[in-house]
Amino acid sequence: MDQTFTRIGPRLTVICLLLGLLLAAALLLGAGLGSSGRNPLAVLDVLRHLMQSDTTQHTIIWKIRLPRVLLAAMAGATLSLGGLVFQVLLRNPLAEPYILGISGGAAVGAIAAMLLGISFFPGVTGSAFAGSMATLAIVMLLASGPQAGRKDSLLLAGVMMNAFAGAVIMFLISMSQSSQLHHILFWLMGDLSMAEAARLPLFALILPCHVVIFILARPMNVLLTGREAAASLGVNVRKISLILLITATLMVSLVVCLSGLVGFVGLVIPHILRLTIGPDHRVLVPASLLGGASYLVFCDLLARTLSTSGELPVGIITAMIGAPLFIVLLWRSRP
Amino acid sequence: MKTTSPPQRPAAWLCRAGLPTIAAVLLAMTLFAGRAGAEVFVDQVGRRVDIPAPPQRIVSLMPSITEIVFALGAGHRVKGVTLYSNEPPAAAELPKVGSYVHPDVEKIVSLKPDLCLAVRDGNPRHIVDKITGLGIPVYTIDPRNLAEIMESVMLLAEVLDSEERARAIVEQIQVKINSAAGRVTQAATRPRVFFQIDASPLVSAGSNTFIDQLITQAGGVNLAAGPTAYPRYSWEDILLMQPEVVIIASMAGGYSEEELKAAWRRWPELPAVRDNRLYVVNADLFDRPTPRLADGLELLVNIFFP
Repeated sequence: MDQTFTRIGPRLTVICLLLGLLLAAALLLGAGLGSSGRNPLAVLDVLRHLMQSDTTQHTIIWKIRLPRVLLAAMAGATLSLGGLVFQVLLRNPLAEPYILGISGGAAVGAIAAMLLGISFFPGVTGSAFAGSMATLAIVMLLASGPQAGRKDSLLLAGVMMNAFAGAVIMFLISMSQSSQLHHILFWLMGDLSMAEAARLPLFALILPCHVVIFILARPMNVLLTGREAAASLGVNVRKISLILLITATLMVSLVVCLSGLVGFVGLVIPHILRLTIGPDHRVLVPASLLGGASYLVFCDLLARTLSTSGELPVGIITAMIGAPLFIVLLWRSRP
Repeated sequence: MKTTSPPQRPAAWLCRAGLPTIAAVLLAMTLFAGRAGAEVFVDQVGRRVDIPAPPQRIVSLMPSITEIVFALGAGHRVKGVTLYSNEPPAAAELPKVGSYVHPDVEKIVSLKPDLCLAVRDGNPRHIVDKITGLGIPVYTIDPRNLAEIMESVMLLAEVLDSEERARAIVEQIQVKINSAAGRVTQAATRPRVFFQIDASPLVSAGSNTFIDQLITQAGGVNLAAGPTAYPRYSWEDILLMQPEVVIIASMAGGYSEEELKAAWRRWPELPAVRDNRLYVVNADLFDRPTPRLADGLELLVNIFFP
């Protein structure tokens, strides 16, 4: 119980500073490297001559790479934080929006809206949110039956809903003759190429979610000690859990619209951080944001530059790096 | 009482009265410079496009467009193409800007094009919008049949300033269409045709596709005609259809010519197999909206009415 209420100021500052530097490096590299050339220093040059906007390099860095790098950072931060929140709420280290079907539900909604040709905002985003909320509701309902006491029932329900969402997605795709089909298939594996400045205003909906979760970091610590203990400490478990669930679902569904289905970020980053800096959520929440952002920016950089015959879906990279990394950490943390 | 007005400095005067005038003149000059040598075209999807006349640095976003631009004699002005731009061979040597469904905008911008050429159904709309938003004009064509391909060729020729070449190309297409029509009217029967695009699953082409049009124009009956553009079939469906001629697109599913035919020969009860009327054809002649479709038409007529 002690560590829940100890002062964290200095630790928080140091960790945020280090991860902030990592993110800055990732952003700089992400904006500096690309399919048309590799010159990280050009970014500094462009930043220095902010107003002279006529060179091709300026256009590429400013209007193509920068929106994309920012989008990757935001998506990574949100997915990582989403993973952290679900891991606390379900008290299960395997919980993650992707595995629980929250992302899948959002994808069903988003694809249905895309195939119908509805506008991106509020059409696709609203439909995605509805899809993920519906999945969440069903998962909660399934898990609150007579077996609710079992710790795994929520996760099992989530895994099944994810499988179902996957089937619905494949059904929609095989029924469709849309010319967007190829684009949607790419999007299903995680695709940040839709990034453009016009999508950035969506951040105004995502950032407040981060803030809400940061404010609830201390109750999150208490939740981890168990429901009875939390209630005895004066935490309204039901209310806090509900707020956290809806906030996390909203931000994840919005990110799914922006970046498609990117897995593993929400699983790997919170785990790595928990293993290295401990389980205090007042530090873990900001650390997950910064760590997740850096991770996805790096992965997207690889996705853009690895292949010379066009870019790869970023979801492939996050899983290919994330899964082995996760296994190594598990191995090393054996008792 | 004496008032001394502060001496008016020339700079201040310039600021007050001169700057707007100078700004207006400069603006007019830039506008004029922008207009000089630029022309406004309306493309096949009805968008107004400002294009420098004639464009010198072209990026083609579709293999079919690359083919047309080279045929119009403007190949040397093409600075970038998408993957699979294999016709003519010289086009394959040019820098690649990703695939047509997933063009790499950064690569495109780095080639400093003064014109991008797109196809409405192939290139994703959001990519085209993105390129336009970056100040690069995008001219989009949208041909849906042979007649519209001839139209597209003429429109592109106007943009590229090579109308003479275009007239010759269109004339050749017309000659091939006429000769096909002549042979079809003499034919007594119309063969029932199954055109196989993909091998696993079996996919054919419904109405509103180039393939359906070519089959019909060549005097055949497209067994896959219907509202679905690219319908899938099982062998059960095929046995019920009883095709008399089977056309197999080369490279369907990545199989060799013999493998593709062998799959059909398992069903000797089909008229096409019994009469040995299985033909493997070059897919590029049928699914690319280029003047070569007329060669595809010619090929089909020769197959249907040997």
